[in-house]
Amino acid sequence: MSNITCAHVDKSYGAINVIRDFNLDVADREFIVFLGPSGCGKSTLLRMIAGLEEISGGTVSIGGTAVNDLEPRDRGVAMVFQNYALYPHMTIYDNIAFGLKRMKVPKAEIDQRIKAVSATLGLEPYLSRKPTELSGGQQQRVAIARAMIKTPKVFLFDEPLSNLDAKLRHHMRVEIARLHQKLQTTTIYVTHDQLEAMTLADRIVLMKAGAIEQVGSPAEIYERPRTLFVAGFIGTPNMNFIDVTAASDGNGWLLKGEGKDIRISGGDFDLKAGQKIVLGVRPPDLVRVEGEGGNVLSGIADLIEFHGNDALVTFTIAGKEVGALCKASSCPKSGDVVHFSFDEARLHLFDAGTGLSLRRA
Amino acid sequence: MKNARSLLPTVFLTPAMAILAVLALVPTVYAVFISFQDRELSRPDGRFIGLENYIALFSDRRFLNAIKVSLTWEILTVALTLVIAVGLGILLFECASAKMRNFLSLLFLMPVILPRVSAAFVWKFAFHPLYGIITYPYKAITGQPLDLLSNPFTALGTVALVDVWQWGLFFAVIVLKLLETLPPQPFEAARLDHAKTWEIYAYVALPMLKAPLISLAFVKMIESLRAFDLIYVMTRGGPGISTETLDMYAFSQGFIESGRISYASSMAVLMMIATSVAFTFIWKRAKI
Repeated sequence: MSNITCAHVDKSYGAINVIRDFNLDVADREFIVFLGPSGCGKSTLLRMIAGLEEISGGTVSIGGTAVNDLEPRDRGVAMVFQNYALYPHMTIYDNIAFGLKRMKVPKAEIDQRIKAVSATLGLEPYLSRKPTELSGGQQQRVAIARAMIKTPKVFLFDEPLSNLDAKLRHHMRVEIARLHQKLQTTTIYVTHDQLEAMTLADRIVLMKAGAIEQVGSPAEIYERPRTLFVAGFIGTPNMNFIDVTAASDGNGWLLKGEGKDIRISGGDFDLKAGQKIVLGVRPPDLVRVEGEGGNVLSGIADLIEFHGNDALVTFTIAGKEVGALCKASSCPKSGDVVHFSFDEARLHLFDAGTGLSLRRA
Repeated sequence: MKNARSLLPTVFLTPAMAILAVLALVPTVYAVFISFQDRELSRPDGRFIGLENYIALFSDRRFLNAIKVSLTWEILTVALTLVIAVGLGILLFECASAKMRNFLSLLFLMPVILPRVSAAFVWKFAFHPLYGIITYPYKAITGQPLDLLSNPFTALGTVALVDVWQWGLFFAVIVLKLLETLPPQPFEAARLDHAKTWEIYAYVALPMLKAPLISLAFVKMIESLRAFDLIYVMTRGGPGISTETLDMYAFSQGFIESGRISYASSMAVLMMIATSVAFTFIWKRAKI
C-alpha cells in the first residue's frame, strides 16, 4: 500500500505563510493532480512530499509511515522535474542507471532493467547519447525512465510537460496516462494546465493561495464547481458571469440583472431575497434561439472566433462580455443580433460575497 | 581601400604589440642566442661553443636535483591547492549561510591580494624556530625548537603550505561561486536517486564543473612555475639545494655564484621548451 496522507500541513518562509492547514488523503494507485494558478503553492507542496522542502507543520505520511524527517531517498518516491534535471555529463544509460547504482543493484540486473524500461519508453536508440543530443520530449522520457526504473511507491510530476510544445505535450500526456494504466503507481501530478488535469486525473485538487478550493473528479469539478474561483478557472472557453440580485417571485425566483431579468424555479439553490448573486453559465450551455423571450440573452455579436467545429460568439450585455459556442457552419456574422437561451439545470449561482456555490448539496 | 573604422583597431593595437614584441621577444631570442656561447658576467667577450652548455647540464647533478624539486613543487602545490579549494568550496556551499559565505569569501580573498614577498616574510617569521607563532606550541611542549625551514625534508612542504594558503583559499571562493551557478535540479534529482551528499558532489556537481576546474588547474600550474619570489625569500633554495627549483638554480648560476650567464640561459631555454611541450600536451588531453 502506498497511500499518501497530508494532515494539517503548513509551510511558511519566515513570516510568510504559503500553505495553510492542507489536508488530503490520496488512495493507493490513485492519480491526483494538483491544479492551480502560478504561486498557489502546488509545487511547494509536491516538493514537501518529495522531501526537497522542509515541512513547517503537520504530517506527511506515505504508506502509513510519517516521512517528515526522512531523507528524500528514503521516502520511496521518484520525481520528474519541469526542466528534466538530467545529469548533463552522463549518457542516457548512466542517467537512468544512477539511482540503481547508488542502491548497489548488481550490474547485470541494472542492465536488464534498463533494457525493459527503455523498451517501454522507446529510448533504446539513445542510450549512449548525452542529454543535450536529445529533443525536449526525449529528455523528458529519459527523466520518466529514471523515475520509473526505481519502481517507487509514489510518482511525483512537477509540471513535466510545461517545457514542451503543444503537439509533443499532447503526445506525452497520452504516454503518461498509458504508463499509469500499466504501472498503477500512486501519482501526484502538478500542473497549471487544466486540460492535463482533466484528462489525467482520477481526482483534481484545485488550489488557490496555499489552500484547497475543491477536491473532486474532473467531472465533479467541471459540473459542480464549489466556488466562483473554481468555476472561472476550469473550462475553456471561460464561464460567463453576470451579476444579479435575487427576488422572490411567488413560486419561483427572479434574478434581476442590469438590462436582463432571469426567471428560475430555484429549487436546486439556496436563495435569499435581496441576495447579491453571480450567475454563471458556460459558453457551450448557451443555445442559439430565434427571437427574444423569457430567459434569453440577446446582444450584437462583435467578435467571432473560429475554433474548428465550433465558433465562439462574443456579445455584450450591460457592458459585460458574454461568450457562447455555436456550430461553426451556422454561426452569425459580426454585427448580427444574436439570442441565446439556456437550461436552468446548467446554471451556476454563487454568492457574490463569499464566492461559494449556492447549489444544494 | 579600407575604411577608417576597420583601420582603427590596427592603429590602436600596433604600438602595444610593438612594445610587447620588444619586451618579450627580444630577451627570448637573445637568451637562445647566448645559450650557444660561453659568456660570463665578468667578461665582455664570448665565443660560440654550440651545444656544450646543454650537454654539460645533463651531467650537472645540481641541475637534475633542480628538475626534481621543480616537479615536486609543481605537483605538490597544484594538487594541494585544488584539494583545498574543492574541499573548502563545497564546505562553504553546503554549510554556510549566504551572509557567512560573503564574509568568508572576503576573508579568503585576502591572502592572494597580499604581495607574495610580503606573505613570504610574514610566514617566514611565523615559522621562525625561536619566535615563530606556529612553532611556538611545539617549543613550549617539548622544549626543543622546531625549524621546519632548515630541515631538508620539511622545507619544501612548508613553503608549499604558504603557496597553498594564498591560492587554495582564493580558488575555494571561485569553486563556491561555480557551485552557485549550477542549476539546483540535478542535485535534487540525485537526492531522490539515493545519492548521499558526498556522492552528489563526486558524481554530479564536480563532473558538471569539469571544464572550469581544469582551467583552474592550468592557471595554478602556470602560477606555480613562477614561485621564485616566495622560495627565494623563505629559503633561498636551502637548506643545501633541497628547495632549489630550476629558476632558482638558473638565477644563482647566472647572477649570484659564478655569473655564467650562458649556462643559465641554456637552462632557461630548456625550461621554456619543456613547459611549452608539457602544457600543449596536457591541454590537448584535457580538452577531450
